[in-house]
Amino acid sequence: MTDGRDDGERAAGPAPAVAFDRISKTYANGTVALRDVSFSVPARTIHAICGENGAGKSTLMKILFGLEEPTGGRIWLDGRPVSTATRDFAGRHGIGMVHQHFSLIPTLSVTENIILGHEPGKGGLIDRAAARARVEMLSRRYGLAVDPDAVTGRLPVAAQQKVEILKALSRDTRILILDEPTAVLSPPEINELFSRLRDLSQHGITILFISHKLNEVRSLAETVTVLRAGQLAGAARLADVPDNMIMQMVMGRPVEITRRQPRQVTGEPLLAMSDASLASRDPADRLQSIDLVIHPGEIVGVAGVDGSGQRGLVSLVTGTARPVSGSIRFDGEDMAGASTARWRARGMAHLPSDRFTQGGVPALTLTDNAIAGTDGDKRFQRGPFLRRGAISRAVAAMVEDYSVRALSIGERLDSLSGGNVQKLIAARELATEPRFLIADQPTRGIDVAAAAFIHKRIVDAAERGAAVLLVTADLDELLRLSDRVVVMFAGRITAVLANEAQLTPERLGPFMLGLEGMP
Amino acid sequence: MNRALLAGLVRLAITLAVIAAVILAVLIPFALPHDQPGAVVAAFLLGPLSSVRHLGNVAEYATPIAFTGLAATVVFRSGLFNLGIESGVFLGGLAATAAALLLPSFGPFTPLVAIIVGAVVGSISCVIPGELRLRWDAPEMVTSLVLNFAILYAGVFFLNYYLRDPAAGSLMSYRIPADARLDRLLSGTRLNSGAIVALAACLTVGIWLYFTRSGLNLRIVGQGPAFAAHLGLPSRRIIMQAQLVGGLIAGMAGAIQVLGLYPRFSWTQLPGLGWTGIIIAILARENPFYVVPAALFLGYLQVGGDFLARDIGIPSEVVGLVTAAIMLAVTASAIFQHPAVLRLIRRIRRVEAAQ
Repeated sequence: MTDGRDDGERAAGPAPAVAFDRISKTYANGTVALRDVSFSVPARTIHAICGENGAGKSTLMKILFGLEEPTGGRIWLDGRPVSTATRDFAGRHGIGMVHQHFSLIPTLSVTENIILGHEPGKGGLIDRAAARARVEMLSRRYGLAVDPDAVTGRLPVAAQQKVEILKALSRDTRILILDEPTAVLSPPEINELFSRLRDLSQHGITILFISHKLNEVRSLAETVTVLRAGQLAGAARLADVPDNMIMQMVMGRPVEITRRQPRQVTGEPLLAMSDASLASRDPADRLQSIDLVIHPGEIVGVAGVDGSGQRGLVSLVTGTARPVSGSIRFDGEDMAGASTARWRARGMAHLPSDRFTQGGVPALTLTDNAIAGTDGDKRFQRGPFLRRGAISRAVAAMVEDYSVRALSIGERLDSLSGGNVQKLIAARELATEPRFLIADQPTRGIDVAAAAFIHKRIVDAAERGAAVLLVTADLDELLRLSDRVVVMFAGRITAVLANEAQLTPERLGPFMLGLEGMP
Repeated sequence: MNRALLAGLVRLAITLAVIAAVILAVLIPFALPHDQPGAVVAAFLLGPLSSVRHLGNVAEYATPIAFTGLAATVVFRSGLFNLGIESGVFLGGLAATAAALLLPSFGPFTPLVAIIVGAVVGSISCVIPGELRLRWDAPEMVTSLVLNFAILYAGVFFLNYYLRDPAAGSLMSYRIPADARLDRLLSGTRLNSGAIVALAACLTVGIWLYFTRSGLNLRIVGQGPAFAAHLGLPSRRIIMQAQLVGGLIAGMAGAIQVLGLYPRFSWTQLPGLGWTGIIIAILARENPFYVVPAALFLGYLQVGGDFLARDIGIPSEVVGLVTAAIMLAVTASAIFQHPAVLRLIRRIRRVEAAQ
């Protein structure tokens, strides 16, 4: 692994296929996705890029693919600096990408999907015979067997992924990026994919493989780069480093975590979920035999890499999904399949992870967003009419209390920064004095001060007796707030741990990555 | 100086400038070959304002399209692109005629009864596509479009077999009894009491949308369906409520148009008022309070077009051209979301924030 910053060293050996040179990316809203990331990938190798969600892996790959422009730094291909902000950058430089979510058109045939965008032409018409021949040739050359005439949408997922890979390879590709390609596959399909990828590497293709699954990284890649919070956390030859060292790079150095004094809870749990399973079209939402209890005043943190079933879990207790089996009891009442309205009537409040679609309406004012859902509240309503004066005063007080920074409460919600939107949502949800609070990624992407503020309000709610379900990818946050930690992997609970001093991110890692705790 | 207001005025000023530019751009090619090009432009722009009677004509044109614009606004606010308002107008007019002809007279309440019948029957046209959408996820745009024609032909059938006056030369109903007709407000025009109802309806719906709980919930469901689900709002009921209200208003539009303007019901084609209503709703940015000025503006263009046709011999279809061009320009987010415009607005606001 060479350091991309060192020009002298690069000049000495053969030029790496890709070198990232101090790449930075700051979005218009101020979010820093990448900061001074430099590393290089030798030609004809399989290189893994690891990191937690939000570490910047996908952003970096989008920059390499020309989908996003870096705000700083540059990319070198084969030792030459290139500008990604040019038309058809990826195509011209032989870079192909297999996206996490397929970019295929389901109603088109396999051939049509693969040639889309660079169709072989004959007098303004598509030369179908040539196109089909090309797909067959690609399919043969790379050992990826597909039926060129099949309708793409009717193929099984693994076959669709082959199509996606062929599409990425179809333009004299030298560099192939795969963004979490195994998320949709079963274990035998994963093995099959990996042997195909090794073949591709034999054919001289440089492969960049994004994953947060350590066992897969180890079985496929030769070298690994770890990103953490938008920065380079480490790089290594996989043969040289043990698992726990990579894990430490992924999770970060153990920082001093100031935990809450864990509370001694007694008595009946408020929420009791037993053997609950959830079916879903999206495998990331499926749940198998979930047992979970939360007592009043207790904060239960859910850890897990994104897509381990957290979304399904939240949907069960917010009234948007019905379990296929098992029971969900809230305060002794059967709540399996209860509607959102019923959950809310029982005292549920929810800080959703998707702030701008679930948490509020961007085009409505702060006021409208703040009082949404308070139907029948006599303070805000006289008969059917809204008491605009009383509402303005109440919302102004909320904005003050939660220190939401806004020009005025008549502004549209989308005029606020992410942190301030989250504070407003928290103000609204906590105004009801909930008995059960679900905080889903409550501080993702927001600034430290706002995050600390939200944390304090969540703890306050628990201290007033609310049962809190905290779902977060931020382990620091998890260990700071939780009384008990539940780890999820692939729709199961792999561990339930008391949040004691010896509980560290390193201890959680194997459960989160499915190395321990799976049946 | 209230700079937030000033920032709002920037958008209004740009809108007006765009509209003025579009009108001139469309009109000038027609005016130039003329002896006095200035007179053509003047006739179009100033003619509608030249007398009380002409202003009355503007209001007369504006009345039905204010209703349909309002109906489209309510329906669109629910997040559904339900085009049933077009046949809702037709059905409302037909049902009101049928009520006036077939039901006994209710004295001074006869028009009221006929309008209510028209509104209720007309609402079917919006309710059915809404229900199909919610129950079977059938795209409301397609079903309402197809339903428009089904309703038209069913209506023409009804007209032919139950309301047709055999003594009349073509397919039209019996004469609508005088006590069912709406009062005329201004002699020399066909402006009728329906205009007052239209104004009242726009204000009422505006108050509903912006000053009641149910209106807030409708805006939430339409603009943030995921948020509505998060809050646990009864989205389906709220959406159906909007289809019903939109349909009622569309039916009312048809009833008032027929009872206010025509001696007999003689529509054998869709009247097109629903389509114009969609234009109004877009022009008014789906705000009921802006529906009135938007409708008056289109009425003003229409009367201006009449002037061109009558006095200068330029086809009044030019109005359609002008309207179409304005729609293209006003809905072009390239203009209103242009970075320069956004920067200007932001700068004005930020100065206020700093103060």
